[in-house]
Amino acid sequence: MMSPFLFWIFAILMLVFGAAVIINRNPVASALSLVVSFFGLAALFLSLDAYFIGVIQVLVYAGAIMVLFLFIIMLLDLRAEELRKINWIASAGGIAVALALMFQIFSVVEKFPAAKQSFPPLAKPAPDDVRQIGLLLFNNYTLPFQIIGIVILVATVGVIILSRRETR
Amino acid sequence: MSVRPGPQPLNLFVSYLDLLKLASPEAIIVLIALAVLTIGLTGDRSRTFPGIVAVVGIVIAIWTTMRLPQHANLFGGMLVISPLNSLFKIVCLALALATVPLAVSEKSMRNPGEYLAMLLLGTVGLLLLVGSEELLMIFIGLEVLGLSLYVMAAFDKTDARSAEAGLKYFLFGSTASAFTLFGISLVYGISGTTALNVIGLKLAMGSIPPLFAVGIVMTLIGFAFKIAAAPFHLWAPDVYQGAPIPSAAFIASGSKVAAFVVLGKIVLVGFAPAHGNAAWHSMLPGWSPILAALAALSILLGNFVALAQTNVRRLLAYSAVAHAGYTLLGLVAGGREGFSATLFYTTIYALTLIGAFAVVGIVKRETGGDDFQNFAGLASRSPFSAACMSVFMLSLAGLPPLAGFFGKFYLFSAAFRAGGNHGLLWLVVVALFGSFVSLYYYLNVLKAIFVDKNASETRHSSPGTHRFVANATIAVLAASVVLLGVLPDALAEAIAKSVP
Amino acid sequence: MADSVDQIFVHAKQWLMSPLEGHIPDCLIQIVSSLLNIAAVLGVFLTLFALMSVLERKILGRMQNRYGPNRVGPFGLFQPVADGIKMLIKEDIVPARADKVVHFMAPILIAAAAILVLGVIPYGRNMTPFVIDGGILFFFAVGSTTELAVFMAGWGSNNKFSLLGAMRAIAQMISYELPLIITVLPVVMVVGSLNPDKIVFAQESYHFGFVPHWFVLTPWGATAFILFFVSGLVESNRTPFDVPEGESEIVAGHMTEYSGFKYATFFLAEYLGMFAVSGLAVTLFLGGWHAPLPGLGFVPSYVWFFAKLSVLLFGFIWIRGTLPRIRVDHMMNFAWKFMLPMAFTCLVSAAVWHYSGRRLSGWLWSFAIIAVVYFALSLLLDARRKFTPRTYRFAE
Repeated sequence: MMSPFLFWIFAILMLVFGAAVIINRNPVASALSLVVSFFGLAALFLSLDAYFIGVIQVLVYAGAIMVLFLFIIMLLDLRAEELRKINWIASAGGIAVALALMFQIFSVVEKFPAAKQSFPPLAKPAPDDVRQIGLLLFNNYTLPFQIIGIVILVATVGVIILSRRETR
Repeated sequence: MSVRPGPQPLNLFVSYLDLLKLASPEAIIVLIALAVLTIGLTGDRSRTFPGIVAVVGIVIAIWTTMRLPQHANLFGGMLVISPLNSLFKIVCLALALATVPLAVSEKSMRNPGEYLAMLLLGTVGLLLLVGSEELLMIFIGLEVLGLSLYVMAAFDKTDARSAEAGLKYFLFGSTASAFTLFGISLVYGISGTTALNVIGLKLAMGSIPPLFAVGIVMTLIGFAFKIAAAPFHLWAPDVYQGAPIPSAAFIASGSKVAAFVVLGKIVLVGFAPAHGNAAWHSMLPGWSPILAALAALSILLGNFVALAQTNVRRLLAYSAVAHAGYTLLGLVAGGREGFSATLFYTTIYALTLIGAFAVVGIVKRETGGDDFQNFAGLASRSPFSAACMSVFMLSLAGLPPLAGFFGKFYLFSAAFRAGGNHGLLWLVVVALFGSFVSLYYYLNVLKAIFVDKNASETRHSSPGTHRFVANATIAVLAASVVLLGVLPDALAEAIAKSVP
Repeated sequence: MADSVDQIFVHAKQWLMSPLEGHIPDCLIQIVSSLLNIAAVLGVFLTLFALMSVLERKILGRMQNRYGPNRVGPFGLFQPVADGIKMLIKEDIVPARADKVVHFMAPILIAAAAILVLGVIPYGRNMTPFVIDGGILFFFAVGSTTELAVFMAGWGSNNKFSLLGAMRAIAQMISYELPLIITVLPVVMVVGSLNPDKIVFAQESYHFGFVPHWFVLTPWGATAFILFFVSGLVESNRTPFDVPEGESEIVAGHMTEYSGFKYATFFLAEYLGMFAVSGLAVTLFLGGWHAPLPGLGFVPSYVWFFAKLSVLLFGFIWIRGTLPRIRVDHMMNFAWKFMLPMAFTCLVSAAVWHYSGRRLSGWLWSFAIIAVVYFALSLLLDARRKFTPRTYRFAE
């Protein structure tokens, strides 16, 4: 079971590096911070006994997607971003909007009487969570699972069309 | 404190053959998309052949949709077949069918095979959206649709505006889907299910948890983006103006119709207990005041900004914002009457807008632009296009003998009667006021067509067949707009009968 | 007797742990147990690394008609000690314009990943250091972070050779990761588990009393094993796929700006990666720690595991001594146009084998599928027609 101590460590790790993603001027540093943030997320999944999701989080996001991100950054050589000055007015405005949204959500949530209740605990997951997920995926969620294939087809065709150099 | 079970593998296994039978329209469209893609691969750059294949495929899909069983429900709402869903699957397919000739007659279109494949895959997204009553499936449908529309918007690589349109649409769209996904996850977290009817039942049992309210608002944001309601409309002007014309037409029609169908189901089935009240003196928190506010803002902002436009496609974009506002009126009114009024209006609007875009396409091919001055003298150059354009414009403005009038009539009367003691009168007044304002700019377009001097020279003339295809499409669309104006009951009855 | 020899390390660990029972809380016991496992894995594999580095040089030497290292200690076996001392006392140079943090983190990350993946392999009966239900997934998840480390090394060094090397390395690792993972899928599918122990148990008994149930003896298993081994060569940047560090073109690739102990860490990670891939290949296809013949069960299980491992490692060295380096574009074409379709074929073929009751007919059918696809692919990819004089587009 999850120890609160570990939860706080990984949650803070995730949030700090998540913030570092947008604060850093250097795109590589941003991307690497995102990787660390993903590792924190994966650790949170692991501590909730969701081993499969946690491992997939590392394999897919930290391993595959972020490497491709970095690969693109390497190809593009985005030095200009580093030199860009921070627009203080714009960022102050952005922070203000974000705070306003947060304040609004909190005030809405506080108005409801049910906000004082805590969540019911989750059921203990089955020991073989990989099998469990597989069964769910091929029983209840067959249709979305197949449709995801179409999503990927659309994305693949689209990317190739948009990025290919036209030959006359 | 109760222990909540996670999702259990249900024993609702359907054989793949049955699944294929019930999802046959979608499957056919996917197959045709792959076929068209393969034709594009062979290096044949002609636009006609893939177009014919696509048309044949869509017609077959319409036929299979008609032959589907009356009622079926797979995987707890992921694929629902009901008269309403089948009707709107046919509408979406018909809209795609009307968009194909536009793409075929677009002369600058490169890679027609790929373009039509994206169009067809987008249509699959429409069908999935319309045919689903489950949030996960709805989100995946939104993504299929969204991704293909982003690509379609950015398709013209010779035009920087098209790239701008694609990028803006992509950035706004992905942010909006992030909000929607967040909202859906909150709704799922609170209610423990993604099936709309179960969510509705669970909500009806107790008080509405606070996070659920946040979830509702977040979910609505994604749809407000799709229907281009203010203040989530910022992408619309650039996309309508910059994207290739068939893409803009499809974004303005098909995607909007499907979004309204799904939005209606979500708020009227899933979130029904959280209705709230939008009546002027007795506002209650819920989704209906939110939609009412969106509607009022869209009507005012869309109409007033449209007054200042000098580009016809931009004007259509702002008017689309206003029309999204009118259409929301039906959902705010709620109930069978309101929902069917919304569905009727959005269908009429989609047909009209494809027609208008087709005319814009002809003008753009002939004069190289789509500003007011390019439309000047259209009446003398091409009386037929001019006549059709006036039908479309007057229908959008809502003048009596045309379909748009009845659409607005149903909507406003539904809103007028709903809400107890004419509580929605304020919204109806806003909408009527907006309609009067809109008359000015629609007539402005007609003034350019019929009165202004022919300033621009005709530079290009389309080859005969493509010109014929475009004209035939416009003629059919204009005829249907007039026909639905004369006999609105033909469609209105069908919709009213199928709405549960 | 044979049993106690087999379980000697397990008993040794229990004996070490026994005085702690009851004196300290359970969570600490878990930590101590893990630490012992880690120490054992590190001890064994660091020794193996030292041994391998000298044996490789000696075997390569023999293949090239020379002696190899034979000065330090008996038969030159103390050579790694001398090398280690040399590496440790060398100056550690960090380029002035380098991204210091990233440059420093890269070797640590790459070694950490290589050591972590060693933890899930079953080395003998009851000798899996960390039993994870999705052990195979864990292996690939952690293994995929190697690419990040390579990127950090290439980018952080701020050197064009490093960057080019990193780009090549990442491109080839991503490309070959697909066949690597997909060739594992048939095994996972047939066994029905991602747990390495269960995969080893599934290969336990013998056909006709003497043919082991190893997956390598099925047509799909043999194909998958070869594909897996080739992908493993690429993933550990070994000849003939050592393009990222092709010294004739880009100095030493992403390791160009590393010296001293950091360089040694990269070297260590490369070898540990090689051990891990070979160990996984043994687990998945070669029956893990099971004996090849039923009568040989008295030999301890870990002996069999390490015997099989050393055969594979010898294969690595042999290939290095035999084959020249391959060209980058050929390598990419090979991955996407040959390896990937063949890997998918293995999946289909394994399904046919499994669903026809694992009998001879199924064996033949699955062989036929692989043969057909193989010949079809080789016809399609026949490059003989395209032999034209090479032109360098960017070097005119």
